[in-house]
Amino acid sequence: MTDAENTLTEIISKVLLLNKNELTDDLKRSDYEPWDSMAHLILISEIENEFGIFFEDDEVVDIWTVADIRSLLSKKISD
Amino acid sequence: MNGTDDQVDEILASVRKSPTYLNLWSAYKKIQRLSPKPLEDVSLRTSIAVIGSSTLEPLAACFDVKIRLEGFQPHTFVGGFNTYRQEAMDTTSELYKGAPIIIVLAVDAWSLLDQNFLSDYPRMSSKSRSAQMKELVNSVTAIAERLEKSSAALILVNNFIVPTFSPLGIADNKQKLGFKKFFRRANQLLEEKLEGNSNIFVVDLDSVASDFGKSSTVNWNTYYRGSVPFSEEFTPIIANEFMRYFCALKGFAKKCIVLDLDNTLWGGIIGEDGIEGIKLGPASPGLEYVEFQRALLSLYNRGVILAINSKNNFDDAVKVLQEHPHQILKEEHFAAMRINWQNKAANIAELAKEINIGLDSIVFIDDSPVEREQIRRTYPEVMVVDLPKNPRLYRTTLENLDVFDVLSFTKEDMARGEMYVGKRKRNELEQSSTSIEDFLRTLELKVRVKLIDDFDTPRVVQLIGKTSQFNLTTRRYTDAETKTLRDAKDSAVYSMTVQDKFGDEGVVGVAIVRMDNTSWTVDSFLMSCRVIGRSVETAFLAKIIADAKIAGAKHVIGEYIPTKKNAPAADFYELNGFTKQKETDDTASWVLDLAYSTVKVPDWIDLIEE
Repeated sequence: MTDAENTLTEIISKVLLLNKNELTDDLKRSDYEPWDSMAHLILISEIENEFGIFFEDDEVVDIWTVADIRSLLSKKISD
Repeated sequence: MNGTDDQVDEILASVRKSPTYLNLWSAYKKIQRLSPKPLEDVSLRTSIAVIGSSTLEPLAACFDVKIRLEGFQPHTFVGGFNTYRQEAMDTTSELYKGAPIIIVLAVDAWSLLDQNFLSDYPRMSSKSRSAQMKELVNSVTAIAERLEKSSAALILVNNFIVPTFSPLGIADNKQKLGFKKFFRRANQLLEEKLEGNSNIFVVDLDSVASDFGKSSTVNWNTYYRGSVPFSEEFTPIIANEFMRYFCALKGFAKKCIVLDLDNTLWGGIIGEDGIEGIKLGPASPGLEYVEFQRALLSLYNRGVILAINSKNNFDDAVKVLQEHPHQILKEEHFAAMRINWQNKAANIAELAKEINIGLDSIVFIDDSPVEREQIRRTYPEVMVVDLPKNPRLYRTTLENLDVFDVLSFTKEDMARGEMYVGKRKRNELEQSSTSIEDFLRTLELKVRVKLIDDFDTPRVVQLIGKTSQFNLTTRRYTDAETKTLRDAKDSAVYSMTVQDKFGDEGVVGVAIVRMDNTSWTVDSFLMSCRVIGRSVETAFLAKIIADAKIAGAKHVIGEYIPTKKNAPAADFYELNGFTKQKETDDTASWVLDLAYSTVKVPDWIDLIEE
């Protein structure tokens, strides 16, 4: 795991109230209760602040799983 | 301890190491999910509320967790989005159900102003500007006052962040009421309107924001996405500001600064450089120390006790205090001094004993990291300041400590320094007296006991909030609760004033009694440690018992709830002839049958009744 991936895992697990080893890529927003709109908002801003990037509104609403975040971030960083 | 408590402790330990916004938020949510059982120690349970015009859960979360880091267990109510009016007006709302001790009212000025306010401002008449400004302030103070009336909480009202931008540009302050002045005036008016209210405090958010850097106080992405009013970095800073009120309310304020001398109060080493050689004077190097001393003196003048703990020859060091032309702090400013070659940990323990304060009320300032480490290791309860190496930063370090906060200043606070001179003289008399009674007799003690009124209530509330040693039950009542007890028919609040030939100590004792037809129960009985050892507490109790008899009570019941600090009060009821009624782990209750017993005023005390 790269540093960036590691940092991302740390942010996601903290916001979603999980230990790092409990976090799976297929975790879904729709069936995990702590991933509510407030958590989503904080998740997005923490990732933005940490990586110095910006998510468009339609990108934000299109994030449904942990895997979605990972792929979107790697796309943003490599751009 | 069960599994949940361990998990909570673990979460808090990791936040303590790194109290970032993300960690605070995560801890708040995790603890909420664990929903730990209420703590057994009732005094550590508490309740707060944060309401206002925007998304305030993140701010409430930071405040909540910071309270937990101090060992408390808060129940935290977070108001809905812009529903603070309904919450405040409806006395049956969830807001009041938790009986919060602090309610934060965080209203953004922009939520109250017309949506065209910014665009219309340049062409608005000064009359209209002024009217809108007053209306803004009135709507906030009306809510604050409603909150105060409907609860026993301390109300914290955020003031408005004065914008750094004006559509009028550099000519803004050439206008009668420029754009920035609109907010400045509003803040001024807010403070003026609430100045006389001891339960509502205006939090100077504008000043906190300036210190932090106004351009970074908002994250515009979260502002527009979710109406979050403050940025991730700024939110915990505001919570810190709220914590100052929480700590003051709980009586955690530090009371005393113990100071080193060489390279702390002046530059250089007096034993080597001599009185002409040390750096202390009107120009740098030397001015840094003079200004540091001035800042210390400003704290002394508001009631912070100063003491010295220095490795030096006594005479060399005292000569500077007495004779150096630029020395600001003189001998009479120090409540006690340890200038010797003993280790400083031993000295600090002696100082605490002599001044009669707890080690946890002490702040230690010393330039030597070795000395600091020794104190830290020997007495972790002492607050040891990480003094920067550069003496030019001493003053700002001191000014940013923010640990001496009290909610109000009384006559007693201001004159505390002088009172210690009286104390020193008393000690000298005690040394020269043949017996303790002989000493007490020559003191010419006068004790005045009365029911409290508007004049002494602030001091009484202060004593209730901070007295820890001679305090039988350590019940911390707020200003509002104390007034309720004072005004109710079935309870009474007494104060005690003590005076002797060396000076007036002012109000130093408080008793709260609850009465029913047959008995009086002493709900609270406490006395400042300043007057311990003069039997004035016996005179105080005697007066209450006399009043109980007159009122026709058959018994007086007293309670003792042990804490870490109140051992000096443990045998109070026993010494005064009470019989132990029952005892559980956390409370012993004592009774005095008024048909057979009474308590007499010691004959060296002149009890003045009113």
